[in-house]
Amino acid sequence: MKRKIVSIVMASAMVFGLAACGSSGGTTTSSSNGGNDASAASETTAKSESSDVVEGSSDDDNTLTVWTWDPNFNVYAIKKAAEIYAQDHEGFKVEVSEVQSDDIETRLTTAVSAGDLSTLPDIFLMQDNSFQKYATNYPDIFTDLTDSGIDFSEFSSAKVAYSTLDGKNYGIPFDNGAVIECLRTDMLEQAGFTVDDFTDITWNDFMEKAKVVKEKTGQPILTSQAGSPDLVMEMLQSCGESLFNEDGSVNIVDNKALKPILEIYSQMVKDGTLVEVTDWDQYIASINNGTTAGVINGCWIMASITANEDQSGKWAITNMPKLDGVDGATNYSNNGGSSWAISSNCKKQDLAIDFMKSTFAGSTALYDDIIAKGALATWAPAGDSEAYAQPVAFFSDDPVYAKIVDFATKTPSNITGAFYYDARDAVGTALSNIIQTGADMDSELQTAQETVEFNMGG
Amino acid sequence: MGKAKKFFMYLILTVASILSVFPLYYMFCASTNRSIDVIAGKLIPGTYLIDNFKALIAQQNLRLALCNSFRNATVLTILCLLVCSIAGYGFEIYHDKAKDAVFTVLLTAMMIPFAAIMIPMFRMFSQLKMVNTMAAFMLPSISTPFMIMMFRQASRSFPHDIIEAARLDGLSETGIFFRMYMPTMKSTYAAATIITFMNAWNNYLWPKVILQNNESITMPMLVANLLGGYTVDYGVLMLGVFICTIPTAIIFFCFQKSFTEGITGAVK
Repeated sequence: MKRKIVSIVMASAMVFGLAACGSSGGTTTSSSNGGNDASAASETTAKSESSDVVEGSSDDDNTLTVWTWDPNFNVYAIKKAAEIYAQDHEGFKVEVSEVQSDDIETRLTTAVSAGDLSTLPDIFLMQDNSFQKYATNYPDIFTDLTDSGIDFSEFSSAKVAYSTLDGKNYGIPFDNGAVIECLRTDMLEQAGFTVDDFTDITWNDFMEKAKVVKEKTGQPILTSQAGSPDLVMEMLQSCGESLFNEDGSVNIVDNKALKPILEIYSQMVKDGTLVEVTDWDQYIASINNGTTAGVINGCWIMASITANEDQSGKWAITNMPKLDGVDGATNYSNNGGSSWAISSNCKKQDLAIDFMKSTFAGSTALYDDIIAKGALATWAPAGDSEAYAQPVAFFSDDPVYAKIVDFATKTPSNITGAFYYDARDAVGTALSNIIQTGADMDSELQTAQETVEFNMGG
Repeated sequence: MGKAKKFFMYLILTVASILSVFPLYYMFCASTNRSIDVIAGKLIPGTYLIDNFKALIAQQNLRLALCNSFRNATVLTILCLLVCSIAGYGFEIYHDKAKDAVFTVLLTAMMIPFAAIMIPMFRMFSQLKMVNTMAAFMLPSISTPFMIMMFRQASRSFPHDIIEAARLDGLSETGIFFRMYMPTMKSTYAAATIITFMNAWNNYLWPKVILQNNESITMPMLVANLLGGYTVDYGVLMLGVFICTIPTAIIFFCFQKSFTEGITGAVK
């Protein structure tokens, strides 16, 4: 009896297995249709017709496939854009696959290496910091948008630069990564300051005031993830400096701003005005738990700050300090953000371009809507809209969105190049050696320069 | 054993158990708290389990991911066990000059990291128009050198005399395998089930590359999606991880007794 049961189980498993192998699309879709209401509601656009479209570019004349990540942010934005576009173009749909940014990069690399671009979607989102790398190494995966009719001059020039290579535009700029300085007004008050005391100031001034805040409140004014060069990179871009020269060569040892920046950073760590935490979770925790009086990062950090509703009305936003004695230094910088790209596999390029042109490069209604999700425009006309001028209760009724769009337009551009992450990591290593082991700055920078040059030569 | 010695033994074991169980406890607690409480390091269970669950199913298609993962892992485990046990049995019981050479090649294949063969494999499957099929996900792991080796090792302890006796009694070779070998090696199969099921369940890179549409989402992909945003809701994330852990934990507890036996040797 027992044997019979075992053989029946084995046989049915094999039949089930083979049947499932034969028709993956069919079986999976049937199980998805009965999903719960909430998930069904959130994915209506993606799922409605998805059983027909299996991979790569869509065959349907009025559907575009998209790879992007973050359902609350990018996925929401592209679906909203599709909804707006569909008002004038009946039947238009996007089919969104939620894919993490790293995984999009893995898939692109795999597809190019395998010589088969047919699996690419019509549109994909790419981190600005990776854009140059892919545009340089794999230009074949992009559609050249230079003469597509999209007016790139309406975007902030620093942002457009990320997706531009050799004068050709490969991407449509999307979310804003303008750097903001967020400060706890209650703690500043305790130290006898207001936000205005921290607006349009220099780092020297900032460091002195930070000491007062530390003395009066016991808290550091900045928090930073140990070994992460986020803040250093932001300071660097605020003076229009990059880790690469125009010709692509490494610019670490001779960089006129990098050394002063590292000095400021390590001095603040010594003063106790900048606390280094071990990882990203601790970083967010230090902001939410009130163990820091402020933070400097891309404006997307706001979403993490506002997550703690108990601190409503206790935060204010201003611009970051600028470097003293460095030519071209400003109070503005950028960290993060991403751009849309249309793949070369897209068979409906005219539709994809028109879709992008009418939404991300042409619809204030879109940007007015997605602002609720914290997605801020880099498209200048959106900043003039009323939605951006609305006071935000969490930040003591300050119209922070308009402020940030203004910051974005003043941000100097930088050169990322194909080896951005190599350079960034090398500087991160140097920074952590300097802070943790008190290593000599000059020799660390020399090592960083050599590491990047070695990687580039390899 | 002296009392002091016993005390220290228990002390060490207690500390070790706390260290192993704490992450699981933390995962559970975090899944019942708000993100902001998780960040604050709250270590007692909260009341937000249902809210987190609602948020999770609103963001992600949990049911689909669970179904997919479960189907993929189950089918793959059954096929893998069948193929590898036949191979392991064959390598040990039957004799051929080229056997050892073939086995060496197999073992060498074990040394090649997956990342190195991923691109050629993708190319192969994409030319066969098999991207997004369950077969493409499973074929590379149906026969694994490790499993074959494990079954071959286990087969060493399977008494050859019984095989001879069965042959004399007129049982066919297939019959010997299915009716004598399989029931005897239960504990090896149990150990292999745990290992294969867990590998299939947790597999991330290959499914991510080969299964490109939303309909093929698996649990590890779902967890990765929860981590992707500018803001991470830690309560929801931990709940996702918790749900993802349950099936492997159940499989492990079911086969736990046989697992140790299977690893150390099946036949007593």
